[in-house]
Amino acid sequence: MSLFAAAFGFGLVSMSVIALAAVGFTMQFGITNMINLAYGEVMISSAYVAYYINRAGISIWIGMLAGAAFGAVFSFLLNRIVYAPFQRKGTSLLGMVIVSLAVSLMIANLLLPIVSYNSVSYHQSSGGLLRVGGIILTANQIVIIGVAVVVMLGIHGLLTYTRLGKAMRATAANPTLARNCGIPTKRVVDAVWLITGGLCGLAGVVAALNSDSFAIASGAGFLITALAAAVLGGAGQPYGAMIGAVIIGMVTELSAASFSPEYKDVVAFGILVLVMVLRPQGLLAKRGALAAAG
Amino acid sequence: MNTYYAANLLVYAGVDIIACLALNLQFGVSGIVNFSFIVFQAAGAYAAAVLSMPPHTASGYEFQLYVGGFQLPFPLPWIGGALAGGLLSIPVGLVVLRKLRSDYQAIALLVTSIIANTVITNARPFLNGAAGLALVPQPLQDQIDPGTDWYQYFYIGLTAVCVVLVWFVASRIVNSPFGRSLRAMRDHELAASALGKNPVALKMTIFIVGGVIAGLSGAILVGFIMLWAPSVWLFPETIILFAAVIVGGRGNNMGAVLGALLVPVGFEEVTRLLPSEFNMLGFAITPPVGLIPALQWVAIGLLIIGFLWFRPEGVRPEPRHVFDGAPVVPDAPEVELVRTA
Repeated sequence: MSLFAAAFGFGLVSMSVIALAAVGFTMQFGITNMINLAYGEVMISSAYVAYYINRAGISIWIGMLAGAAFGAVFSFLLNRIVYAPFQRKGTSLLGMVIVSLAVSLMIANLLLPIVSYNSVSYHQSSGGLLRVGGIILTANQIVIIGVAVVVMLGIHGLLTYTRLGKAMRATAANPTLARNCGIPTKRVVDAVWLITGGLCGLAGVVAALNSDSFAIASGAGFLITALAAAVLGGAGQPYGAMIGAVIIGMVTELSAASFSPEYKDVVAFGILVLVMVLRPQGLLAKRGALAAAG
Repeated sequence: MNTYYAANLLVYAGVDIIACLALNLQFGVSGIVNFSFIVFQAAGAYAAAVLSMPPHTASGYEFQLYVGGFQLPFPLPWIGGALAGGLLSIPVGLVVLRKLRSDYQAIALLVTSIIANTVITNARPFLNGAAGLALVPQPLQDQIDPGTDWYQYFYIGLTAVCVVLVWFVASRIVNSPFGRSLRAMRDHELAASALGKNPVALKMTIFIVGGVIAGLSGAILVGFIMLWAPSVWLFPETIILFAAVIVGGRGNNMGAVLGALLVPVGFEEVTRLLPSEFNMLGFAITPPVGLIPALQWVAIGLLIIGFLWFRPEGVRPEPRHVFDGAPVVPDAPEVELVRTA
């Protein structure tokens, strides 16, 4: 029983990490129509930025902010330099998927000579332990959960109450109409890449902090869990991604406790397949995956 | 240039040509972005391996754990490999190709590729896990000694026969009414279904055909290199083949062959020719281990992005299929379509 209580605690942390990653991923798709397969590699790059800052003797929490800033700038530039020009050219959605996969490959292999294959980990004591019932959490894990909760509330506030958030939703619903109504969609899209890039960077550092060690190869796993949560919730739906993260985070940790932790990604994948067979549009989206590709 | 080197080069070229022809049928002709192509090649290779290997309890093979071990004579493992590729295509195709939007299909297949590799790596008793299968018997090694030059020529010949066969099948498909339906579906799925074409059936068919050919390519490769492990079929391997088809020319079989020769074969050869030590201003500089392969991948990425930007139709563009009796439109003015999104 205590094993499952502990797994529940890990599930809480894991869902926080996945939520940060999945919300950014799904917003990129929902608002800019871009399935950014380089997302996992941007996450891992940001994790390494935090690693080098941390190694210089600076607190990992500063490193986390730096990772988020790096992710924001990197994603923004990625869009400005590669994605946006291709989209302006009228490249199909499929073409964009191939472009982003090529970008992902390039980031991973430009990073490789710098960081090498070896696994690394942050220098950060895991802090004191907190026990509630059978759940044991370290101080770091509590901070991770706190960060995720604050960010999710922030995203909710942004999308619901601010002009920028409303402009984002308008752009997601119909970019042409939004532009004709006087919304500067180009600036909105820039803002989206900065914000989602920041989420991506943050998620990368947090994911790296949450695992004992990380390596360049972790990027693909990061991408798969974010994808699974985003698709489960309905691609393009930030709230869906949050729900997806809760389900994927819990299910993967509980399954890791019941049989083998090596198959965490496989369980996430199993959920993904089930969703694609049974409800391809995801939990929240009305059209989503079923709509014809534009 | 010794025989072994020539055989290595030619067999790899043949395998890449076969794989690119299959991928061209799926991606170039039918518009299915099969990011898990390499999984079907791997399925063929594993199947061919366990069909030709003795049981894992046989002497000399105890260090491995795998299912099967049937010791079948030569053509059967290759046929089995092709069948395995085709059989695996059925469930994957049924999940991915029926309901999903095309970009979702692409990511679903990509994730499938990554996960399949994870599963095989971790599930050791099935196909010996991360270490993979080794000492796979070579075709007809009891009749012809694999150590001889003769055997190398023989293997090149076998590969060439398969290349010709696959080329024949691929060009028949492209030029047939079925091929026209595939292209119609790729260019305008809604219009094709309005004309009574069943897009799911078309996609499933070509997905399975591609899977069979991919399986065959894997069987040929494993018979030559005699080992197969998860590290040789990581998902970026599929991207190389995509780069080849995009560079060569999507939808054009000739382009697929050209792409196979330029990208996978070309890159392998060029990197082999690079010195392991550069002499710069009198200083000997040794690049760190892993730098060259990493840069090779970066170059593949650049190649894809560069071609998609500057020449999306590739070196050998798909021929426009115009039929006798089609109305001749003299210099129709290019109409600039206004994009709405």
